[in-house]
Amino acid sequence: MIDLIISKYNYWIYIVLMMIGFYAMIGKKNLVKKIIGINIFQTAIILFFVSTASKRGGTLPIIEHAHGHGAHAIEAASYINPLPHVLMLTAIVVMVSTLGVALAIMILIYRRYNTLEENEILEQRKWSSNPPF
Amino acid sequence: MRILALFTVIITGIILAYGTQDMPDWGDPKSPASIHVSPRYIEKTIEETATPNVVTSLLADYRGYDTLGETTVIFTAGISCILILRIRKRRREQK
Repeated sequence: MIDLIISKYNYWIYIVLMMIGFYAMIGKKNLVKKIIGINIFQTAIILFFVSTASKRGGTLPIIEHAHGHGAHAIEAASYINPLPHVLMLTAIVVMVSTLGVALAIMILIYRRYNTLEENEILEQRKWSSNPPF
Repeated sequence: MRILALFTVIITGIILAYGTQDMPDWGDPKSPASIHVSPRYIEKTIEETATPNVVTSLLADYRGYDTLGETTVIFTAGISCILILRIRKRRREQK
């Protein structure tokens, strides 16, 4: 039982983080809270991918004594996996881009409706005679 | 509605926690992610790209097109932020 906890607890932490983000996405009424929920969700997924890179006994993926010390045999097992790090670097860029565009759209919505609560916006759209936009 | 959301979230969490028993252990050097592609990158990076930092050589050399697409994404996001925030101002000035 203790072995199971030690070997799997990182996944459980990411699952809890993902549940927090998912609840903020579907349970909250405020649109900014929904966007931050999406960000927490993505952070959980990024942490999950980075944790798949770890190897016990491995160090950072920077080759030691790379230049000028003669050719060394490089063992892949002594460096952690660099591929998830690279992929998550791309994912972080996409995350920041979507966050920026979403917050810009939130500014537009606030100027149009003077609120960011979802139910109040739906109420205004229902009773307004002229269609928005 | 809030109860329904909480219920959905907890069900999703239970399903995912059930799925973790098939995942590799934390820090396992023999996990499928670590034995398939990445050893080749680590072993050949000095020979092929002369860059000690494997993350750098992957990002800028092996996956250069990926990084090019990434810059396209962030450029598009910046342009769309500018466009979204400018259109509204112009309409207000016309009124």
